[in-house]
Amino acid sequence: MRFLLLTLALAMGQAIANPALEGEWMLQIDATGAPLSGLLQLERDGEEWRAFVEGGPAPVTVDENTVVVDIDSRDLRGFVFIIRLKGELQDDRLQGTFTIHSDAQIRMAPSTWSASRYEKIPRSSEPDPVDISGIWTPAPGIDIRKYSMDLTPAAEEWHAGYLMHYDQPNVRCISPGITAMVAWGGYPFEILDSAGRLTFLYEVDSEVRRIFLDGREAPEFYPGSGMGFSTGRWEGRDLVIQTSHLEPNVRDFRGEPVSENARLEEIYSLSDDGQTLSAVITLYDPDNYKRPPIRRRAWTRNPDTDIYPYECDPDSFFRQMYNEGKLEMYFERSRRRN
Amino acid sequence: MHTIRFTVLALACFATSYAFAHHSFAAEFLGDQTRTIEGTVTEVWFKNPHVRYYIEVTNEDGDQESWDVRTGSPTLLVRRGWTQDTIREGDKIKVTGFLGRDGRKLLSVINIVLPDGTVLGQEGY
Repeated sequence: MRFLLLTLALAMGQAIANPALEGEWMLQIDATGAPLSGLLQLERDGEEWRAFVEGGPAPVTVDENTVVVDIDSRDLRGFVFIIRLKGELQDDRLQGTFTIHSDAQIRMAPSTWSASRYEKIPRSSEPDPVDISGIWTPAPGIDIRKYSMDLTPAAEEWHAGYLMHYDQPNVRCISPGITAMVAWGGYPFEILDSAGRLTFLYEVDSEVRRIFLDGREAPEFYPGSGMGFSTGRWEGRDLVIQTSHLEPNVRDFRGEPVSENARLEEIYSLSDDGQTLSAVITLYDPDNYKRPPIRRRAWTRNPDTDIYPYECDPDSFFRQMYNEGKLEMYFERSRRRN
Repeated sequence: MHTIRFTVLALACFATSYAFAHHSFAAEFLGDQTRTIEGTVTEVWFKNPHVRYYIEVTNEDGDQESWDVRTGSPTLLVRRGWTQDTIREGDKIKVTGFLGRDGRKLLSVINIVLPDGTVLGQEGY
């Protein structure tokens, strides 16, 4: 039927979008150094097409078998740029080239991309734990760092008043929250394996997480915090962690909110050679997001690294505010941080 | 001393990609405008989340002005041999960096030339 409609439209001289483009696709962007991956959702509402990448909106145009998608991303410094994918559907696979657009100097070079139909791989319900203990250092690539997400009206309103830098918790040594921190590069972390629990020791901010594997629930009146309360279970060789009891925080540099009702899901997988740990990190927070934001990270096993202490002093933040006469403004905004 | 400085130089040339991995450099600095200043270090603040050096500079009008010079976190710098003692109060140094937004006397370090000519680099990408 789809083929007949397309053939009819082409015969009439009208270029319409191939309905086969609709669906969920697994992107691979051949970025310099290491490829990036992410979920691309192409949806149709009448003649209007919409695209979402890793849960965030991405402007799209579709013409017959050709698709152009603009993905806003950021580099490690926080400069925003657009990855413009242009490609075609061929043999039920999308492929093409991409270009980079930004006012800032971005190191990512234009190259190629492809996408295959996304198929959720069922995980075994039988636990088959693997040894992920040890020290892990961040590996490059993988995460697209989709910058803007599909916010609810309430989140849009809150975010409109967000002041980047002044409102970011960790510049004044407050926990960045696990949602942001687990996706950051730069710092190693260590996993300790003991009876009924895993302990994650992060170098950055000297954060500690206990992942309970014994089926327990959070104690009554357990307070919210940046790291929250985490439970885990093995599904086959994959470790699935659920975290609740989070303090309100922000998701990433853009400052999109994370509510106290949010739940973070992390799925960790170990490579067959045991040297690479990767994770898909999904934030379920319907108070703030119409679609769950997704991040992806990978780490390399590195027994030669030590976890350094991370003492943090917010003096540099407050000194600058003082020098610039902005301390009053900072304290007037305290309610936003409550 | 030469060994230490060589280590600093050699190690600073790579693995600098994550200097700003935990907060937005773009929120405070212009990524396309750089400036070089020369002056005397008046204060060293070698603590997380960011190292800060205050530099006293004589401007074109002959007036003294104080610049706030930032690098990455010491936790990352010390792995490269860049420690609290690498730059000390009273040192005369030359700093090239990205300018702070809104005309602020704020620099994010690209490189620092020490009194003995050693160049410390920090790419910041």
